[in-house]
Amino acid sequence: MSDLLDPELRARSARTWRDADDRPPVVPDLLHPPDPGTTGLRDRHRLLWQRHALRRERAQAHLMTALDPDRGLPVARSRTVVDYLRGLLRERSRLVVLVTLANGLAAAAGLAVPLLLGRLVDAVDLSGGDPAVGVVRDLVLLVVVVLVAQAVLTYAAKGLAAVLGQGVLAQAREHVIRAVLRLPLGKVESASTGDLVTRVTRDVGSMSGAVRWALPEFIIGVVTVLLTVVFMVLNSWALALPTLVTASLSLFQIRRYLQQAPAGYLLEGATYSDINTTLTETVEGARTVEAYRMQQDRRSAGVDDIEVSSQAERYGLVLRNVLFAVMDMAFSLPRVITLVVGAWLYSRDAVTIGDITTAMLYIETFYGPFDRLVGTIDRLQVGVASTTRLLGIAEVPPDRTAGDDRPEGSTLVGQRLRYAYRPGHDVLHGIDLRLEPGERLAIVGPSGSGKSTLGRLISGIHAPTGGTVRVGGVELTELPLELLRTEVALVTQEHHVFRGSVRDNVELARDGAGEDGVWRALATVDALDWVQALPQGLDTVLGSGHHEVTPAQAQQIALARLILADPHTLVLDEATSLIDPRTARHLEGSMNALLTGRTVVAIAHRLHTAHDADRIAVVTDGRIVELGSHDELIAAGGEYAALWRAWTS
Amino acid sequence: MRDFPPQVSAWTDARDGAGHQAGIGVPDTRGPLRFLWWLLRQQGDLVLAGCLCSLLWMLPTALTPWVFGQAVDEGIRAGDAGRTALWCGVLLLITLVGASSGVFYHTVVVRSWLYAAYGQTRLVTHQVTRLGHVMPRRAPTGEVLSVNGSDGDQFGHFIEIFSRLVGNVVAYVLVAVIVLQISVPLGLVVLLVAPVLALVSSVLLRPMAAAQTRERSRDSELTSMATDIVAGLRILRGIGGERIFGANYARQSQRVRQAGVQAGSWGAFVEAVGVLLSGLFVVALMVLGVQRVRDGDLQIGELITFLGYALFLVQPIRVVFEAAQQITRSVVSARKTIGVFGTTDPWPERAPLEPDQLRALAEGELVDASSGLRVRPGRLTMVVSALPDESARLADRLGRYLPAGDTVPSGDDEATGRAARRAAAERSRVRADLESRDAERAQGAWGVTLDGTDLADLPLDQVRSRVLVSDTAAHVFAGTLQDAVDPHRTLRREQAEAALHAAAAEDVYDILPGGWQGVLDERGRGLSGGQRQRLVLTRALAADPPVLVLVEPTSAVDAHTEARIADRLPTHRRGRTTVVMTASPLLLHHADEVAFLVDGAVVATGTHDELVTGHPAYRSTVLRGDAEAAPAGSTTTTTTTTNGTTQEVTP
Repeated sequence: MSDLLDPELRARSARTWRDADDRPPVVPDLLHPPDPGTTGLRDRHRLLWQRHALRRERAQAHLMTALDPDRGLPVARSRTVVDYLRGLLRERSRLVVLVTLANGLAAAAGLAVPLLLGRLVDAVDLSGGDPAVGVVRDLVLLVVVVLVAQAVLTYAAKGLAAVLGQGVLAQAREHVIRAVLRLPLGKVESASTGDLVTRVTRDVGSMSGAVRWALPEFIIGVVTVLLTVVFMVLNSWALALPTLVTASLSLFQIRRYLQQAPAGYLLEGATYSDINTTLTETVEGARTVEAYRMQQDRRSAGVDDIEVSSQAERYGLVLRNVLFAVMDMAFSLPRVITLVVGAWLYSRDAVTIGDITTAMLYIETFYGPFDRLVGTIDRLQVGVASTTRLLGIAEVPPDRTAGDDRPEGSTLVGQRLRYAYRPGHDVLHGIDLRLEPGERLAIVGPSGSGKSTLGRLISGIHAPTGGTVRVGGVELTELPLELLRTEVALVTQEHHVFRGSVRDNVELARDGAGEDGVWRALATVDALDWVQALPQGLDTVLGSGHHEVTPAQAQQIALARLILADPHTLVLDEATSLIDPRTARHLEGSMNALLTGRTVVAIAHRLHTAHDADRIAVVTDGRIVELGSHDELIAAGGEYAALWRAWTS
Repeated sequence: MRDFPPQVSAWTDARDGAGHQAGIGVPDTRGPLRFLWWLLRQQGDLVLAGCLCSLLWMLPTALTPWVFGQAVDEGIRAGDAGRTALWCGVLLLITLVGASSGVFYHTVVVRSWLYAAYGQTRLVTHQVTRLGHVMPRRAPTGEVLSVNGSDGDQFGHFIEIFSRLVGNVVAYVLVAVIVLQISVPLGLVVLLVAPVLALVSSVLLRPMAAAQTRERSRDSELTSMATDIVAGLRILRGIGGERIFGANYARQSQRVRQAGVQAGSWGAFVEAVGVLLSGLFVVALMVLGVQRVRDGDLQIGELITFLGYALFLVQPIRVVFEAAQQITRSVVSARKTIGVFGTTDPWPERAPLEPDQLRALAEGELVDASSGLRVRPGRLTMVVSALPDESARLADRLGRYLPAGDTVPSGDDEATGRAARRAAAERSRVRADLESRDAERAQGAWGVTLDGTDLADLPLDQVRSRVLVSDTAAHVFAGTLQDAVDPHRTLRREQAEAALHAAAAEDVYDILPGGWQGVLDERGRGLSGGQRQRLVLTRALAADPPVLVLVEPTSAVDAHTEARIADRLPTHRRGRTTVVMTASPLLLHHADEVAFLVDGAVVATGTHDELVTGHPAYRSTVLRGDAEAAPAGSTTTTTTTTNGTTQEVTP
C-alpha cells in the first residue's frame, strides 16, 4: 500500500513514525519521591533538595522559552517595561505623591496608637495604679483624635491608591489594544492568533493584578515598613534592635526567594492554562471522543497535565516553605528576645513598662505589612514578565511604507511574481497576470499549489519576494492602508461578527459612513428586514451573550461591509472564506449585488464557480499552467477539461 | 496523609490492586451542602491536620498578651528574675511551636487546596468523557469549563477557610477562658463587643461585594472585547474599523476603571470603618481598664493583656465573616457543579455480545426505518439530500447519536436576586425535561438495525466499535500528527500511510515540520479548512471501522483534491460498508449505490448515472446546487437559476 506515496515522503514517514509507545514520561522519574521505607532519612532529605533543584531548572527553562518564543510575536525587554511604567507614573506624579503622603500619614497615625498605649501604661504604672484624671483624659482624647485621623487618612489613601492603580491599568491596556490594532497586515494574515489571544487575556489579567493591586500595595508596603522601623527606634532603639537584626538576617532568604519565585509562578500559570486547554478540547470534542472511543486517552492527557502542574506547584510550595521557615522565625523570635532584653533593661531603669508594651505591640504588627510587601513584589515581578509580552506587540516592525504615488486607473497587473515563506522555498515561480477592470477570473488548482498565496499577493497583503503587483501603475504595498482598502479587498473569514452594534459592525468598513450609508449597504444585501425588526435597530448589540445572528445574517453583514468599503477589485478565497453552502443558497441576491461592476478574482473550490468566470487560471506547483475561458480550456483538453468531465459526466 | 495529585475513580471501572475503587469516587449530588460535606470527607485527614495546624499557628498570637501580662506582673515589675525567666521560657516555647507549625500549616493547606482543585478537574474530565455527545446537551461548554476553573478554585478556598475557621474559633474560645478568669466584667465586654463590631462592619461588606461584582462583570466583558478584536483582526486590518473598535474598547476600559475606583473606595471605606471601630474598642478598654486598675481589681500586666486582646480579637471575628462569605460562594459553586456532576447517562444497560457475534453483525445490512435507507454490506453507498441538515440527521441516527439541536440555555453568572433564581429554576426544569426525553429516546427501540438487530439492543460501546460516524464538526486534538491519525497507537505505519494517501492529505504531512511527530495546535489551528477536513478523513479511514459514515467529507476541499479523494476512497474501503453524505458529483460517480433523500425519506436509489438521467430533482440537486452558491459568476449564475435546467453546464 505504502508504495502509493511519493518516495521522498515515504522515506520521511519511515523516519518519523514511532512504532512502540516510546514516549518519555511527562515528568522524569527523578521528580517522584522514593517509596516510603526504601531510603533512610538522610537520603530522603538529599533527594528532596535534588528534586527541588531539578524543578528549578525546569522553571528556568520554561522562563527562557516564555520570554523568547521561537515563533509568534516579539517580547519587549524588562527595561522597556520599567521605562513605560515610569512614564505612566510621571504623568500622574501629583497623584503618586498624594498616595505616598496619605499612606505615610495613615501608617504614622496607626503606629502612634501603640506608642500612646505605652504612655498610658506608664502613666498607670508610675502613679502606682492611680494616674491623674487629667493625664488619662488627655491620652484618651489624643488616641481618639489619632484614630479618627487614621480612619480618614486610610480612606483617602486606599481610595487614591485605587484611582492611581485603575488609571495606570486602563491606560496600559488601551495602549496594548492600540498596538494590536496597528499590527502589520501581513503579520495578521500569516500568524496564528493563539499567541495574541493569550496575550490579551492571560497577560492582561496578570498585568492587571500587578498594576491595580500590587503597585499601590507596594507603595503602601514600603512606606509602612519603613515607618514601623522608624517608630520602633523612636520608642526605644534598644528594644528595636532584636527585631531589626533578625529581620535583616531574613532579607538574604527573601532576596533568594524573589529571584526564584517569578519563574516558578510563570510555570504554574502556564500549566494551568495547559490543563484548561486540554479540558476545553475534551469538552468541545466530546462527540469525537465518544465516536473514536478515546475516553481513556483524554483522561490520561488530563492526568499528565495535572502531573506536570503538580510538579510546578511543588516547586512553589518548597520555595515558599523555605521562605516562611526563615521569616516565621525572624519575625516571631524577637517577641521573646525583646521581652528578655526589656526585662533586663527595666531592672536597670533604662526602659519603662510602657516602652516594652509599645515594643511588643510593634512586633506583632510588623509581620503583616512585611509579609504583604514580599507578596506584592512577587506579583509585580510576574506582572512585569507579562507586560514585556504585551509591550512586545508594539515592537513588530511595520511591513510597508506608504509612498506618494496614487494609482491611475484600476487595472491590476502582476509581473514575474515569486513568493517564499521560507527563504529558498519559492511557492510561486514567476507568475504573470493582468486583470481587466470588470472581469471575472477564477483560479483553480490542487491544495498546496500556491493559489491562496497568489490571492494574498494580488490583494496587497504580502509584498512579493520577487516581481511586482501594481494597480494603476502603483505597487500595492506602497499604498497607504486606507487607500489600498478602496482598491482591492481579500474576503476571508468574513463571517466574524464583532461584539458591538450592527452599526459598528457595518460602518467599520468606512468610518464615518453615517446612518444612511449603513442602511443603504444593508438594503443592498437584502438585510433590511431583519435589521429593522431588531429591538434597537442599528444599535442592537451583537455577539455571544448579546443578540446572536444566524450564519446567513452574519454573512450579509460581511457583504454589507464590502459594499461600504467599495473596492473595485475583490479577491474571494473559498478555502478560507468559509462560505457555508447551507447559507450560500439564500445569499445569492446579496452576493450578486456586491459583485456587480467589480473585478473579481475567485480562488475556486467548486467547478461551477470556475465555469461561470470569464477566464480560468489553473495553478499547479506555483505556475499558471492553463489560462483561458471555460470553452477554450475544454477545447484545449488539458487538466481542467479532464476535471470538468469527471464532474459532469 | 493524602497528597496531590489525587487518584480519581468516579464513573470508571478503575480499581486498585485490592479490587477497591481507589481515590475520589462519585460525588454526592443530592444537594449543595451534601456536596460540600462530601468534599470535606474526601480528604478527611488533610482537613483534620489543617485544623490542628491552623490552631498551632494561632497559638502565639492568642497567648502572647496573656504571657506578657503575667511576665510584667509576676516577674518584671516584681523584680523576680526567676518568674521573668519562667514566663520568657513559656513565651519561647509557644513561639517555637507557632513558628515551626507555619511550614506544616502551609503545606497542608496547599495540599488540600490542590487535592480539591485537581480532583475537580479530573471529575469533570471523567464526567465529560463518560457522557460524550450528551454532555453539550445538558450544559454549555462555558459552564462545564467554569465548573472546572472558578468552581474548582472556590472549593480549594472552601477547604482552606474551613480549617482556618476551626483554628480561629478554638483560639477565640481559649482567649475567652483566659479573659474571663482575669476579670469577668471586662472579659464579657471583650467577648461581646468584638462580635458586635464585626457584625457592624459586615453590613458594609454587601455594597462592597456588589461593587466588586460589577467591576468583575465589566472586566469580563472587556476581556471578551479584546478576544473579539483579535479574532476579527483580519477584518479590522483588512477592511478597516480600527478606530471604531479601538474606541469601543477604550470606552469599556474606562467603565471598568470607574467600577474599579468605586469598588476600591468601598474597600477603603470598609477598612477605614474597621480602623475606627476597633480603635474605639481599644479606647473603651483603656478607659474601663484604667478604672479597674484604679479600683484595685486589675494589675498593670493584666491591663496590658486586655489591651493586647482588644487588638487581637478582631482577627478571629473577621475570619468568621470571611468564612461566611466563602461558604455562601461555595454553595453557589456547589449548585453549579451538581448541575454537571449530577447529569445521568441516558443509555440502557445491555449485555455485551460475544466478539464473533459482533463481527457477524457488521457483515449484515444497515437499515434505517424512518428514512427507508438500506445500506448493503461491503458496499459504498452515498446519500444525497437537497438539505444538508437532513443527511446530517440521518448520519446521527445511523450512529446512535441523539438528535442535534436540543440544549439547555446558558445561565448568567453575574445576575443576582429573584430574577436569577427564577431563571435558574427554569433552566433546571428545561434540563430535567430534556433529560427525561433523552432517556426515553435512548431506552426505547432506536429504529436502526444492523443485520436485523436494533442498535438499542447493543451496549453503546459496542455500537461505537462497529459504526463510526465522522461528522462535519469532528474535532482535531492538539498533539502529534501520529496521535491525530492513530489516537489508540494501534496502527502499523503502512496503514497510516494508506489512510493518508486515500484522504489525499499528503500535503498536511508535508507542511508539518517533523512529519508524524510534527505538532498540531488545538482544534488543528494553523491548518486550512481543507487540510483539517482531510486530516479528519485520514483519521476516520485509519480507524478502519466495519461501518463508516462520512458526513460531507470534502465540503472544504478544492475540486482537484476532491477528484483525487473520490478516486482513492472506494479502493481503500473496498469490502467494508461505507456511507457518504454528499452532493458532489465527483464523489457520487464512484458510489456503488446512491440514495436520494427528500423530506427525510429515500425517494430513489440507483447509480449516479441512472439517477442523473432518470430523476430531474436529483439532477438539479447535484449538478446545479453548487452553481447557486458560486460567488464568482453572478451573471451566468443568475441565468442558470432562472432557466432552471442544467443543460448549459454540460459541455
